[in-house]
Amino acid sequence: MDSFTAIILAIFLPFAAAIFIPLLEKFLKHRIGWFAAGIAFLSFALIGIVAPEIIHGHIIQHSIEWMPSIGAEFSIYADGLAMMIGFIASGIGVIIISYSNGYMSHKEDLPRYYQYLLLFMGSMIGMVFAGNTLQLFIFWELTSITSFMLIGYWRGKPASIYGATKSLLLTAGGGLFMLAGFILLHTITGSYDIATILQNPAIIENIKAHPFFLITLILILIGAAAKSAQGPFYIWLPNAMEAPTPVSAFLHSATMVKAGIYLVARVHPIFSGTEAWFILVSGIGIFTMLLAGFLAFRQTDIKAILAYSTISQLAYMMTMYGYTSYHEPGLGVAAATFHLLNHATFKACLFLVAGIVAHEAATRDIRKLGGLRKDMPITFIIASIAALAMAGIPPLNGFLSKEMFYETSVEMGHIIGGPFTFLIPAAAVLGGVFTFAYSIKLIDGIFLGEKHHDHLPEHIHEPPYTMLIPAAFLAGLVILFGLVPSIPIHNIIEPTTAGIILEEVHLHVKLWHGLTPAFFMTLITFIAGLGIYTRYDKIAAWQDRFNARYPRISVNYYYDRIVDGAKGSAKGFANFTQPGNVKTYIYAILLLMVILFAIPAFMMATQVFPANLNFDIPLYEALIMTLMVSAAIAAATLHRYLAAVIALSTVGYLVSLVFIYLKAPDLALTQVLVETLSTIIFLLVIAKIPQTFKEKIPKTTLARDIVISSAVAATVLVLLLNATQGIVSPFESLSYYFLENSVPLAGGHNIVNVILVDFRGYDTLGEISVLCLAALGVYNLIHSRGEGE
Amino acid sequence: MTTLITKTITKICIPLVILFSISLLLAGHNNPGGGFIGGVMFASVISLTYVVFGLKYIKSFFNPSWDKWFGFGLLLSSLTAFGAIVYGYNFFRSSIKFVEIPLYGEIELVSAALFDIGVYFVVIGTLLYIFKNVGEDE
Repeated sequence: MDSFTAIILAIFLPFAAAIFIPLLEKFLKHRIGWFAAGIAFLSFALIGIVAPEIIHGHIIQHSIEWMPSIGAEFSIYADGLAMMIGFIASGIGVIIISYSNGYMSHKEDLPRYYQYLLLFMGSMIGMVFAGNTLQLFIFWELTSITSFMLIGYWRGKPASIYGATKSLLLTAGGGLFMLAGFILLHTITGSYDIATILQNPAIIENIKAHPFFLITLILILIGAAAKSAQGPFYIWLPNAMEAPTPVSAFLHSATMVKAGIYLVARVHPIFSGTEAWFILVSGIGIFTMLLAGFLAFRQTDIKAILAYSTISQLAYMMTMYGYTSYHEPGLGVAAATFHLLNHATFKACLFLVAGIVAHEAATRDIRKLGGLRKDMPITFIIASIAALAMAGIPPLNGFLSKEMFYETSVEMGHIIGGPFTFLIPAAAVLGGVFTFAYSIKLIDGIFLGEKHHDHLPEHIHEPPYTMLIPAAFLAGLVILFGLVPSIPIHNIIEPTTAGIILEEVHLHVKLWHGLTPAFFMTLITFIAGLGIYTRYDKIAAWQDRFNARYPRISVNYYYDRIVDGAKGSAKGFANFTQPGNVKTYIYAILLLMVILFAIPAFMMATQVFPANLNFDIPLYEALIMTLMVSAAIAAATLHRYLAAVIALSTVGYLVSLVFIYLKAPDLALTQVLVETLSTIIFLLVIAKIPQTFKEKIPKTTLARDIVISSAVAATVLVLLLNATQGIVSPFESLSYYFLENSVPLAGGHNIVNVILVDFRGYDTLGEISVLCLAALGVYNLIHSRGEGE
Repeated sequence: MTTLITKTITKICIPLVILFSISLLLAGHNNPGGGFIGGVMFASVISLTYVVFGLKYIKSFFNPSWDKWFGFGLLLSSLTAFGAIVYGYNFFRSSIKFVEIPLYGEIELVSAALFDIGVYFVVIGTLLYIFKNVGEDE
């Protein structure tokens, strides 16, 4: 199998499998999760097939034609960065899906759950391997949508729906900004192709000198920040914790939230080495790192603590990717990348532990938990490993990447100079101190201390192996990467870094560096962290008081205001445009028709009534017309519904007679059938209502109706007269084309039908889709009536 | 509406109209007809039985899920359109084949006809689905 096929399969296999999950569930029942895990493993293995090639420095690029009219191809760009996130998405996918087999109750709607998970995984893999920006955008939004589905998985809970909506509005909305950025990038470079831009120094120079540089950068960063919950956009991630815990572990700690970081890394070669890049990326990173790390203190739900911690940890990566200088644009890239990988291992592990605790102790409230070390010793060990790695304790992997963070912060401080020599390292240490404190809180609050017997079940035991082994596996990786860093460094971090800074790199990561500045910063972190930990509850209480006193200093407050306001104005708009009275709709349609047709007709016609009108009418034509006119008058004046309806149908049938006379059998047939059908519907309705018009129509209404109908009739008359006699169309009639090509191109003699199913088949496909939606809409309207208001 | 005359005539009409609707569907490519007209024809005769015999009575022995019909139709039409991609052509590219059938003679096979069959099922499915739901509503 060649590399291109392998990657395409890795992307689309999860999509294809998702389609068959409901069917397979009939045979596999609750074991369907293992099938999904198998698919995830296949995707992982497929990426594994191409990995050696990428590790040796080769970038796999291939494209097939997709939308040639706008110059977009479906292309694959597989470098180290794509490989790493691809590995994380599929690898953590295997672990999470296996774990879900123990976590999800068999009573849940399992096919839907595993379908969404696989769709998400496919989208994520598709996004990282995307070779052009439009394709990246599409997969990007797909991850937002699948995340929306998974957060709202428990549809009955209002909190789930709130969280799901919030995440969709912010992440998918941010994606639109990113798209605008990509379009600007296309305006500057003339290409959507990532490889073309990245591998062409001249193009990158051109971008950096372009007046659109800053706005493009800002637009793309808004997308990245929204996706990775950075800056003011962080608010969606805590609410996303309403998702089932394996989903939080997968999407909202290890993979989807990394998409923004991935984007920053992907565009790094294009924008880095500029002041704007450092100020915007590191600026937002440092701000978010400190804010979210601090806000984690007052959270009581262990998943919420983990959510704030994730935001803060993502900000670490953001900050490091932002470190840049003219001479060394990729200063923090290796450190950020290593931290990205490490965070995926220890944070996913912590989420899995949170799931285990909630599963066994039936609560996630850290105030009620405590003393679980005796009941679940293995879980305690796993949790401690992961939490200590997050705190940055040697010899775990979190220690290594945090050291690198400190080192690069010192370097960056030196490059800028002035007060920043100390400020940047100080900010980094402060972030580390917060992380240290809440990491300790997690272990202490859940496992140490006394067990609160009044809140917790008497017998708490270890979870089933399906839940324990995935968590233990991740903890094993945490230790392995810490003790033998050369394995991830050589196989993943070096090729990834090379993919971002576009030159070969050799890294030397060791546990012991000597008495470097970073060593002392780590010491300060531990001491200050312990110090703050003793005041943990006091700080949390202060935060609560502060929040209560100043509710408006909260992004959530403004989010809710905007969303509720939007709902209000949408309601007003809907009430204005949809008054619910059929008559109003018909007025609007008819008046618009008069305006749209009458004005151009009067403007284009040389005279309203063409001079060469033909009054030589054959007898039967006159007969049909006379009948039609009398039937129409009858329909408008008769007082009994049944009679009026039959008169109306008569008009319709007479029209079809005219079609036959004009040699248009298709139209005639359609007209007869539609007329029959609508008569049947009328009869159905009439059976349920009084037989005669009861209400008296006011004179004013009558006058208005007469004016509108006359205007419509006059418009149509003028239009018809001029269409056949007066106006010489500036365009050649289309019908000749169809007459000539219907048989040679489509093999059909019935032009009407050939146009419908072949020449304009796309339209028809759209129309029948609308038809299906209309049918479902009718169903919903009928069945939702009486519920709610 | 439920006189003996309408009931008898409706009974006679059902098979004839259904056959005619199928013939309209198949003839559509070269003669008047097509999926839309055929579908409306089919839907009218079924809805006629609903009116004449009453929805409840018809449902007691003949109650297909019409939503599956339009679902199937939409799937068939979309797959036909996608079919061209499998053969490396553009989306919606149609193909024509002339096949010799013993005793009968030459017939024309068009991929667009499959698309039209999808339209046929969508039209039948949606119309009758709507009728049934509106009719069941109190």
